[in-house]
Amino acid sequence: MILQINFKSGMPIYLQIVDQVKALAASGGLRAGEALPSIRPLAEELRVNRNTVAKAYSELESLGVIETLPGRGCFLKENQSTLRKEVRRKLLIEDVDQAIVQAHHLQVPRDEFLKLIHERMDVLDDKRRTHEDHKEDK
Amino acid sequence: MNSPTPVIQIENLRYAYGRAEAVHDLSLTVQPGRCYGLFGRNGAGKTTTMKCLLNLLRPQHGQVRVFGLDPAKHEVEVKRLLSYVPDQVAFYPWMSVRETLDYLSSFRANWNRKIEQELFDRFQLDPAQRTGSLSKGQRTQVALIAAVCPETDLLVLDEPTSGLDPIVRREFIEAVIGAYQQGIPGKRTILVSTHLITEFEGLIDEFTLIDRGRAVLTLDADHARERFQKIRARFAQSPPEIDLKAALRVRRDGRELELIANGSGAELMERLRQHRPESLSTESLTLEEIFVATLKA
Repeated sequence: MILQINFKSGMPIYLQIVDQVKALAASGGLRAGEALPSIRPLAEELRVNRNTVAKAYSELESLGVIETLPGRGCFLKENQSTLRKEVRRKLLIEDVDQAIVQAHHLQVPRDEFLKLIHERMDVLDDKRRTHEDHKEDK
Repeated sequence: MNSPTPVIQIENLRYAYGRAEAVHDLSLTVQPGRCYGLFGRNGAGKTTTMKCLLNLLRPQHGQVRVFGLDPAKHEVEVKRLLSYVPDQVAFYPWMSVRETLDYLSSFRANWNRKIEQELFDRFQLDPAQRTGSLSKGQRTQVALIAAVCPETDLLVLDEPTSGLDPIVRREFIEAVIGAYQQGIPGKRTILVSTHLITEFEGLIDEFTLIDRGRAVLTLDADHARERFQKIRARFAQSPPEIDLKAALRVRRDGRELELIANGSGAELMERLRQHRPESLSTESLTLEEIFVATLKA
């Protein structure tokens, strides 16, 4: 699992870890049941505080993205959100709204914006398919 | 719920060497489990502050508490709970590395042999070598081993990486993260003074920036990176008159504007946007850039 911390993004470090793990899970870069590195080596590699990695992992656990098996470590869970559907929608709406505001400021019109969303979803699907193919090759 | 006793509490500390005032009215609090940075230029008062915590100097005014104790009255208790890597590491030069560590461990109630071995391997030190012939980097590595193995609750690092080469610096930080920061989260506290901020960026939870003995800025690191922003705007013609008093610094270069914002980033972005710039971007400042921007403002 390769992560990259950017101190210029203005986003708290633990949230950067959370987001990147979520992105890896969505793109198939991490598969259900696959182990995440344990806290110490990941903290050393990223050269961040161990508490920061621990905080990111407990956030991922409470979001239902990973699970901790005592004595064995952290693993990516099957993609089954524990949240109710309307809560999940509400969470997504916040992010979508933000993207729409950004599109407005960048003068990207509605059609182009919707097209872009389709394109990006295709990219992610492609990535996932590639990872799946590799999995079957093994 | 009672808040836990701070690991370090400094209140209105003052210290002068003769007429030269090194620390003026400095106050700061370090909570358990935090990694706290003391940032400042050379001569800002970092080492003097640390020496007051370690009872190597007596505060002339104000007070310092370590684990709630006065280091001058409870010297042994306080020293039992902390370890220290000074900026100038000195050992008895005729002793070997092994003898030095044995000597130092004899003062400690606890000494983790497993961590000692792990760090020996990581640093590739020769136990038989006399400390007098060690390089500066190797002496710092031995000092770090001696500071980590007793597994104290507080680790005080005074300019630990200055004068070391980049590889040794990296290894030093990784060893602090890996070997020192283990055990119960929220227990191991670190106070590190440095002007080489970039290397410690990911480790620092909270920091105080000191300048000429005074605390200029104390912030949580994530919060600081959110507050301090660099905004760049480019206009089609030379930039119009815009009220940018909310910016910490403004630089104009032809059609471009570069602002440093401290908490007023959103407001400034909105102002710039109203003048329809060709491009407008923002990024956060790193802790080192915050250090420079604050001291040069």
